[in-house]
Amino acid sequence: MHEILSALNVKSSIFLKGATDFRPASLLKNIASMLISCSVAAGVFLLSRSATVYLLQQEHIGMFLFHRFLSMLLYVFFITVNLGNMIVCYATLYRSEEVQFLVALPFSHAKIFVVKFIDNFFYSSSTLLLLGLALLLGYGSSFAMPWYFYLFTLFAVLVPFMLIAALSAVILLMILIRVAAFVGIRWLLSGVALLYMGVIYVYFYLTNPVSLVAEVMRHYPDVNAYFGYLDPPFVRYLPNHWVAEYLYWTMMGDHARAVGNLLALFLTLAGLLVVAGILARQYYYKSWLTASDGREGGGGISLFRRAGAFRLDRGGPLPPQRDVLLRRDILCFLREPSQWLHLLLMALLLVVFLASIRSLELKLTQPFLRTVSYLAVFLFNSFFVASVALRFVFPSMSLEGDAFWCVRSAPVSLPGLYWQKFVGAFLPILVVSEVLAAASTMAVKEYPSIFVLNLVCTAFVALTLTGANLGAGTYFASYREKNPIRIASSQGASLSFLGSMVYLGCVVAILFLPVNRYFELLIFRGSASQAWVILPLAAVGVLSGIVFFGASALGLLALRKDQ
Amino acid sequence: MIELHNVTKKFGTFAAVDGVSLRIERGQFFGFLGPNGAGKTTTIKMLTGLYAPTSGSCLVNGFDVQKNPLAAKQSIGYVPDQPFLYEKLTGREFLYFVGGLFRLSKADLRVRIEEYVDIFETGDFVDKRAEEYSQGMRQRIVLTAALLHDPKVLIVDEPMVGLDPRSARLVKDLLKKRTEQGVTIFMSTHLLEIVEELCDRIAIIQRGRIIHEEIQDSRKRENGELEALFLDLTK
Repeated sequence: MHEILSALNVKSSIFLKGATDFRPASLLKNIASMLISCSVAAGVFLLSRSATVYLLQQEHIGMFLFHRFLSMLLYVFFITVNLGNMIVCYATLYRSEEVQFLVALPFSHAKIFVVKFIDNFFYSSSTLLLLGLALLLGYGSSFAMPWYFYLFTLFAVLVPFMLIAALSAVILLMILIRVAAFVGIRWLLSGVALLYMGVIYVYFYLTNPVSLVAEVMRHYPDVNAYFGYLDPPFVRYLPNHWVAEYLYWTMMGDHARAVGNLLALFLTLAGLLVVAGILARQYYYKSWLTASDGREGGGGISLFRRAGAFRLDRGGPLPPQRDVLLRRDILCFLREPSQWLHLLLMALLLVVFLASIRSLELKLTQPFLRTVSYLAVFLFNSFFVASVALRFVFPSMSLEGDAFWCVRSAPVSLPGLYWQKFVGAFLPILVVSEVLAAASTMAVKEYPSIFVLNLVCTAFVALTLTGANLGAGTYFASYREKNPIRIASSQGASLSFLGSMVYLGCVVAILFLPVNRYFELLIFRGSASQAWVILPLAAVGVLSGIVFFGASALGLLALRKDQ
Repeated sequence: MIELHNVTKKFGTFAAVDGVSLRIERGQFFGFLGPNGAGKTTTIKMLTGLYAPTSGSCLVNGFDVQKNPLAAKQSIGYVPDQPFLYEKLTGREFLYFVGGLFRLSKADLRVRIEEYVDIFETGDFVDKRAEEYSQGMRQRIVLTAALLHDPKVLIVDEPMVGLDPRSARLVKDLLKKRTEQGVTIFMSTHLLEIVEELCDRIAIIQRGRIIHEEIQDSRKRENGELEALFLDLTK
């Protein structure tokens, strides 16, 4: 125990040193980071509070249905924490140089596991915890709950819930790496991707939100009653259900039933802690050796060992410098499992989204709802672009790594390198986001002018978010960090992502009223001036230009710094 | 030819290099000595454009490294103190990459790489990824990369680190041969016997300032007085 505490103490000292660094640049970064985090948390709080009030007091969907929606939201939250922890765990438990150092010390492997797991949990889940807390505050304040409700729910419900997600991820990861030694990583990774897709699909297929709403609404106005018999049996064994049930019964004043759900949560957490402890003792070191063997043996976890089309000894249509820089970027990307695996996962999520949206039958005749539906689809597309840009564009300059000396000491124009990276990232992002925007707008059968608005706005968003993430990624570049996932979840990356969210918030704010008015005119009068579409588009263009050029200037300036 | 005109590099208030001026002629083998933290690597990083001087200027082959970086760097071959490579690329891919940065054609590169694979005996590992390399293997790949484009100026920071005696001999012979062909070499090292054996001229830097400069003569090489001189000057 003493060793674990010492290691954690060192880690917290390093963190505190960073947080209390009062040099002007660091101070500015910390203040900006705090301001943006607080603004996003405030936004989530307001959204959560107004959504709760709207659904319960205006739409009167009732407490049961509301908490079932909450349960679905928590399920998605659980999967996000779970997946995030699995990816970061692979990096911190199996690939970090710190583990190599610790393994060589007289420090038990189980203890290394505990230290790295705690480090990993706070590293990968802190932003989600902040968002969870903001959601909880918004939810609780709409019921005028006392202060101790938040404190209790945060530490006794939300944190254990997230720990269950993280522990199940690390347990699964240890098993997977052990199994990978026998069945081959390619098949295993495909299996895992299918497993995650499957659990999301099966959950929503069996819970069937549409039929649930129809069933509950048959009892209107008696919708606050408990309709637990409508839940499919398997749902009762899921942590998100326990949390939703705890909240439902707490709000209904039945604390005995609320406590029952808490017990299920605690027992599961305790059980997972024991299982993780046993597995860590038995398998962590063995699985670490398996992962190391794969790495030392020539990058065993790679789908593209040769990647013939991108070989550096082949010629291409580009000038030699541009050609080798592009080929190197592609080869390094394809040979880094965490890169292409993450991309594959995002592509699968995209396919699921498009498949789901195709089955929507939105015949909205209320302008307000139509505006909300349009903006919701637009925002989803934009979130997708923001996530891709953060995950793949932000780390791209840092991934030049320690070997950046060979580019910087060669006759290569650094602004040229910067813009090549930008174009290389922007073009695929633009194509994918435009396809997504076109497919989603066509799926909900939107007006042609709105279709065009969506395409142009999406192009602005793709341009801006790619530029902003490259600029911020260059400004906050960490050439010593080899792991792209850690770069994309660093403080600078969080700041960049939160900045992207603020930008998207501004875009939505610009679009909301004119688009709503446009829908009103179209629905009630049959025609509307195109100015309602063109003017906000111009405003979005100006805003995007400012953000894009500002971020690019920052990035180019940072490239001039000493390496 | 390399020129440093009153070059200073400050990190905050600390002057890592303080008013250094040097002129190294074409074909000269220059040894840059100094204790740890004296400012050797900082000077080299300014010469290669990795650091910008706080004041003063660095000229390589007549081009100012800050004002005309592309022209200056075109004539530099650089071996850094730590041979970092792209871990996911093989040694051969890295060499094609660096050759491309210097705008060499693929056909030309193919011939040159094969030539250096033979010279440095890297055939056993050049097609494996760098993540599997030892320090010595990395060093041999980086040395090859520095020589690929036939640079007029070679800037080498501790070139013998990690090399086995056979490879070290190879490198020494190759560097000496290059100076005979008119290549200017700026070498930083702690290995005084190598300086004694190879260099025509030396300078010793301490606390960012040049404290001693001399033309090497055969008497010192024979008597090994350089160590005594270094210890005396840097105590």
